[in-house]
Amino acid sequence: MTEPSASAASLIEAKGLTREFDEGQVKALRGVDFSINEGEFVAIVGPSGCGKSTLLQLVGALDRPTSGTLLYRGISLPDHPNPAAYRAREVGFIFQAFHLLPTFTAAENVQIPMFEIDRSASGRRERAVELLKLVGLEHRLDHFPSKLSGGERQRVAIARSLANGPALLLADEPTGNLDSENAHSVLELIIRLQQEQGRTMVLVTHDPTIAERAARILRMKDGRIVDDTRP
Amino acid sequence: MTFLAVVLRGLLRRPLRTGFTLAGISIGIAAVVALVGMSRGFQKGWQLGLKARGTDIVVNNRVGGLTPKPFDASIRDRIARLPHIAATCNILVEVTSVESSDLMILSAREWGSFCWNNLELVSGRMPRDAMEEAVVLGQTAADVLKKKIGDPIQIETKELKVVGIVKGGAIVEDGSVILSLPLLQGILGSPNQINAIDIRLTPSTTEGEIREVTQQIEQQVPEVRAVTLSEHLSHSEGFRMVEAMSWGTSLLAVLVGVLGVMNTMLMTVFERTHEICILLAVGWTRGRIMRMILYEAAMLGLLGGAVGVTLGAIGVQILGATPAIRGLLKPDLSIALLGMAVLIAVAVGIVSGLYPAWRSSRLNPSQALQAG
Repeated sequence: MTEPSASAASLIEAKGLTREFDEGQVKALRGVDFSINEGEFVAIVGPSGCGKSTLLQLVGALDRPTSGTLLYRGISLPDHPNPAAYRAREVGFIFQAFHLLPTFTAAENVQIPMFEIDRSASGRRERAVELLKLVGLEHRLDHFPSKLSGGERQRVAIARSLANGPALLLADEPTGNLDSENAHSVLELIIRLQQEQGRTMVLVTHDPTIAERAARILRMKDGRIVDDTRP
Repeated sequence: MTFLAVVLRGLLRRPLRTGFTLAGISIGIAAVVALVGMSRGFQKGWQLGLKARGTDIVVNNRVGGLTPKPFDASIRDRIARLPHIAATCNILVEVTSVESSDLMILSAREWGSFCWNNLELVSGRMPRDAMEEAVVLGQTAADVLKKKIGDPIQIETKELKVVGIVKGGAIVEDGSVILSLPLLQGILGSPNQINAIDIRLTPSTTEGEIREVTQQIEQQVPEVRAVTLSEHLSHSEGFRMVEAMSWGTSLLAVLVGVLGVMNTMLMTVFERTHEICILLAVGWTRGRIMRMILYEAAMLGLLGGAVGVTLGAIGVQILGATPAIRGLLKPDLSIALLGMAVLIAVAVGIVSGLYPAWRSSRLNPSQALQAG
C-alpha cells in the first residue's frame, strides 16, 4: 500500500489514470487527472461510452486501473489491502438500476452493508428504520422491492448507500430509470443529503440539467476529462 | 436481520428446488441409517445369541461367508482338555430358506450340551433324543413360518415335526429353527461336520487367561480361529462383508446426495451472480460470500440429515418387520449412528458447497454496475 502523500487535503486524487479492456483494444480511460476535495459535489458528464461509469467504478474500488495513480485520502486504491472494507465503510453506491436484492424487504436491503461493521442485529434494524425515515419510507419498511414504485426503490437504495455513514457517495445515473416526477424528488433528496451531511458526492449523468445542480462539473469525452468547470 | 436469516432466505428463494435437493440428501442418509443399522443389528443379534447360550469363546474356521465353513467335529476332542475349559458345544449353523421364509437360521446343537440350556419352553416339549425327527422353533421363527406344535416342517429334503416353541433370550435364538446336531448332519449329508464350537470357561477365568486359552486353541489346531464373544463378529469375514456392503451402498447414495447439493449450489451461484456482485459492491468480503454459500449448503445437509434419519429409522422398522428379515435381526438404531448420519449429511453439504462457494467468491463486483 502506498503511504499517504503530501496532497492529503484531497479526498480523491487521480494522475494519468487509464483503463483498457480486451488486451488494450478498448481504451475506456486514456490518462485522466483530477482531484476531488472533501465535501465537494461533483458531476461527471459526457456522452455514452466516454468512460464516466468506468471512472466511477475505479473510484469505488469495484475495478482496478490499467495504469496511473488513484489515491483516496492519500492511500492508493489499487493497492488497498482490503477493498471490501473500503467499499463498506468509505463509499455508498447509488445505481441507475437500484440493484436491490429482491428477496429482502426494504429494511433488510438497507441492513445488508451493515454486516461488515460491528453492529448487533437489533442495531442494524434500528439504523435501517432511521435511514428509511430519512428518505421518507417509514411506511414501507417491510415491503419487498417488487411492491415498491421505481422512486421508492431508489430511495431504499439511497438509504442503503448511507448505511455505514460513508464519506463518499457515488451515484451512477441515479434518476435514469425514473419518470420526471420521481427523478426530480430523488435528485432533491440526494442533493439535500449531500448538503445537510456534508458528504462528498460524485454523480455521473448525461443530463445537463442535473449536472448544473453540482458545484463542479467534469466533462468527459473519449476517455479523457476535457473540461472542469464550477458553475 | 441476522446472518442466519440471510442464509435461510437464500434457501427459500427456490423452495421446490431446495425441496428436491433435500429429498436427495435424505434418501442417501436414510440408506446409511437403514443399511448400517441393519448390519449392526445383525452383529448385535448374534452376539446376544451367543451370550444367551453362555458362550465365552467361539471356535470356527478361518475362512467362510455369512456362516463359517464346516470342519471336522473331532477337532473338539483336541481342545476340550485345555485348562479353564468347562464345557464345549459342537454347532452346525446354516442360514437358508425354509418353506415360506427365504432367510431362516437352522441351528443344530450337540445333543445334551449347554447350548440347549438357555432354551425355555413356551409350549410343547423338547426333542426326546438326538435322533428324534423333531425341531423346536424360536417364538419369532414359529410366527414367521406360521407353525404350531405338531405341524410338519420341511428342512431340505426331510420332513420333521415341530414339537416345541421356545424362548431363547435373544433375537437370533428366537428366530431360529433349533434341532439336534446329528439330525441336520444327516439331512445335509455331512456327518461329523460342524462349523462352530461354543466354549464355556470355568467361572473364575480371568481376561488374561481367556486370551491364553484362545492362543492355545489356535496353537493346537492351526486351521481354526478362537475368538472371544466380543471379537467374534468383528473377525467374521461374513459380517465384514455385510458391513462393507452396507457402507458401500450407503456411501454411493451419499455420493449422489453430494452431487445433488453441488448442482443446486452451483445453480444458485450462477442464478445469483448479479446479487452476489451487489453484495460485493456494497462491501461484503469474499469470505462472507463464501460463508453464505457454505452455510446454505451445510443447512441443506443438516435439514436433509434430519429428514433422512427420520426416514431411515421408519424404513428400518418396516424392513425389520418383513417376513424375510424378521427374527434374523433387530435393527440397531443407536443415538451414535443417528448422530453420525446427521454429521455425514452436514459434511456432505459443506463438501458440496466448497466449489460453488469458491466460484462465488471469484466474481467481480463491477459486474453489478454493468448488469441491468
